[in-house]
Amino acid sequence: MNNNLQIHTPEGFRDIYNGEMKKKRKLMTSLMDVFDSYQYEEIETPAVEYFDVFGRDIGTTPSRELYKFFDRDGNTMVLRPDFTPSVARAVAMHFRPEDMPLRLCYEGQTYVNSQEYRLNLKEMTQMGVELIGDGSAEADAEVLAIICDLLKAAGLTEFQVSVGEVDYFKSLAGHSGLDAETLERVRSLISNKNFFGVGELLEGERIHESVKKALTEMPQMFGGREILRKAEELAVGVEAKDAIERLREIDVLLTKRGYGNYISYDFGLLSRYQYYTGIIFSAFTYGTGEPVAKGGRYDRLLSHFGTDAPAVGVGLYIDPLMNAMSRQGINL
Amino acid sequence: MRYLTIALTKGRLAKKTLKLFEKAGIEAKEAEDDSTRKLIFEDPDMKIRYFLAKGPDVPTYVAYGAADIGIVGEDTILEEGRNIYEVMDLGFGKCRMCICGPESAREYLASGDQIRVATKYPNIAKDYFLNKKHRTVEIIKLNGSIELAPIVGLSEVICDIVETGTTLRENGLTVLEEVCPLSARVVVNPISMKMENERISDFVRRMKEAL
Repeated sequence: MNNNLQIHTPEGFRDIYNGEMKKKRKLMTSLMDVFDSYQYEEIETPAVEYFDVFGRDIGTTPSRELYKFFDRDGNTMVLRPDFTPSVARAVAMHFRPEDMPLRLCYEGQTYVNSQEYRLNLKEMTQMGVELIGDGSAEADAEVLAIICDLLKAAGLTEFQVSVGEVDYFKSLAGHSGLDAETLERVRSLISNKNFFGVGELLEGERIHESVKKALTEMPQMFGGREILRKAEELAVGVEAKDAIERLREIDVLLTKRGYGNYISYDFGLLSRYQYYTGIIFSAFTYGTGEPVAKGGRYDRLLSHFGTDAPAVGVGLYIDPLMNAMSRQGINL
Repeated sequence: MRYLTIALTKGRLAKKTLKLFEKAGIEAKEAEDDSTRKLIFEDPDMKIRYFLAKGPDVPTYVAYGAADIGIVGEDTILEEGRNIYEVMDLGFGKCRMCICGPESAREYLASGDQIRVATKYPNIAKDYFLNKKHRTVEIIKLNGSIELAPIVGLSEVICDIVETGTTLRENGLTVLEEVCPLSARVVVNPISMKMENERISDFVRRMKEAL
């Protein structure tokens, strides 16, 4: 053994000390004030859950990226990679339909064993809200307004919340008749904004011309509210048309409340979390390579835990947010 | 206004890209001068600046947001597997990723035996054999003159870029299987695409017109 060996933190984990912790605490306090102003009540769930809470049929972080270990009885345990399934499980356990709608907020550490993240952090602090038991466009708009207020509370002035609708793609996919493997390739090309790849892939596939045209255009279907009209012209299927209608409703609500400038639309936004069922969104700003917040609607997630309730929520990633703030010269 | 930063791939690709820049009305004279020692060039009117980097580093600059846009071969994009948007096919730098070896290696490929594959692109080679051919192989990473490997007996086959096939023929090797076609691409950082959508779309439009 080398006695001079200095023990350092494992790769992907870090100490936060001196001024940085003070800044982090201050930021989190102002964010918590925003949750308060919308009357969200804080909930704490354990960092460790049974594997099934994040299992394959839930459609969350892939199994190989979860930190797993065993309890005394040999059950597989997981360090939570994400709060939403934990909160959904807790709601199904402790609340009844007459308690809805529920407004819950949380803060805590999440763990993902992956090199993929550009900050290279395997432990990240997340804060967020879940609005459970309300399936309306008002609920979607409320959560989107909260993100804008959170980012404003962090001192950001230039940011964009990009909103998509997973049903738009699902509807096209359903009408395409393509096999699962091809669809997965189309999905990945669209979410990588590969402007020509979809067209190349579908060339020669015997699918309906209108579906082909819409899928080919999807990587470029993002921008201001004018993109809603383009998406509508190309929409195939009732679900896709309903998706546009929902986004229009949300747009009206947010514009009325003065958040219109922060919102843009992106139909190519397709999360790797499979549990999203309606709107889905990411928030971006200068100075960080990662979105600072992500969220969406997950109307079927709670049924996995025995309660049927629509829900929408957002998680804010504190670490990339603090990077962005320091690179933009923002001091709270 | 913020400068848009573009990372170009050093070498032949950069020369072709700079020609395209000139046609698209982006200042490129200084960068085309081979004797220059400058690392970064700019067009102050268009608020664009660009620099030359080694191929595999271009997706890295773009993924981290140090460059908003990158111009790089598709081989590098596939190998690096970064989270970046691929928005345009420049159509030049066309070539193929292939499995090559002496004619006698064909039977090794057809058999299920464990074979050795020498390559500069371990991720592409691994993906091809594992996920498309469903077999395990031993990947040997090399940094250049890949054609040497089967000749001196380091590996049975190689996985490499083939343009004309001249180097292969001169060394008694031949294309055994094609992995995928390749060409030069314009890639964009996902955050930049959102925050600077108009300027990046304008850049892509200019490049398309200049092609």
